[in-house]
Amino acid sequence: MATRPKESHALFLFTVGLLAWCVPGAGHFILKEKKHAIIIFVTIVLAFCIGIYIGSIGVINPVGAKPWYVAQLMNSPIVMVLGHLVMTGDYPVYGRPNEIGQIYTSIAGLLNLLCIVNAVYWAYLRKTELVGV
Amino acid sequence: MSSFFSIIATFTVPEQVGVTPYSMLWLLPLVAAIATVYKTTKLPKIKAGYFIKEVTVLFGSIVVFMLIAALVLYVMAWFITE
Repeated sequence: MATRPKESHALFLFTVGLLAWCVPGAGHFILKEKKHAIIIFVTIVLAFCIGIYIGSIGVINPVGAKPWYVAQLMNSPIVMVLGHLVMTGDYPVYGRPNEIGQIYTSIAGLLNLLCIVNAVYWAYLRKTELVGV
Repeated sequence: MSSFFSIIATFTVPEQVGVTPYSMLWLLPLVAAIATVYKTTKLPKIKAGYFIKEVTVLFGSIVVFMLIAALVLYVMAWFITE
């Protein structure tokens, strides 16, 4: 079996990671793990949506809650768009809804980070299995 | 179309969540999400029955551990304040 050049394999791993970040589960999907992809997509999107339903999109606060924002950013680049909207200050949120919303959206982001790493690792393992390293 | 916008609008206003013991129940869906995603990354092949069993066991373990942690903290707080 023909082996891929090192550079193209690195590019493939990068593509898997990037896709997994853009759409939760997409990394597993291109590795033909459809069941994994569907479960990851549904669970992470649901957790994120519950978070912004409870606390509104105001929980994505790139200025006042930077550490939470970094974790939320792991969900998808779309979070940046929401963060930009929230910076206008039109979506204030305080108290328990803010806490619960931030926890949900941040944990969803960290779960997606776990899935990104997992998808890249599986892509790497498949390459080494093919080459027999 | 108007129903679409009314759904979107619910994401721009926070829900009313009081500081009550019942608000701790919001923990459960999050634990379910964590258990599901974690087991998805750990199992190389997903078979419905086995997957649900694994997720349920992990979900139960996390909830029981948190209950024990809450109980220990409650007892500690009771000793300190009494």
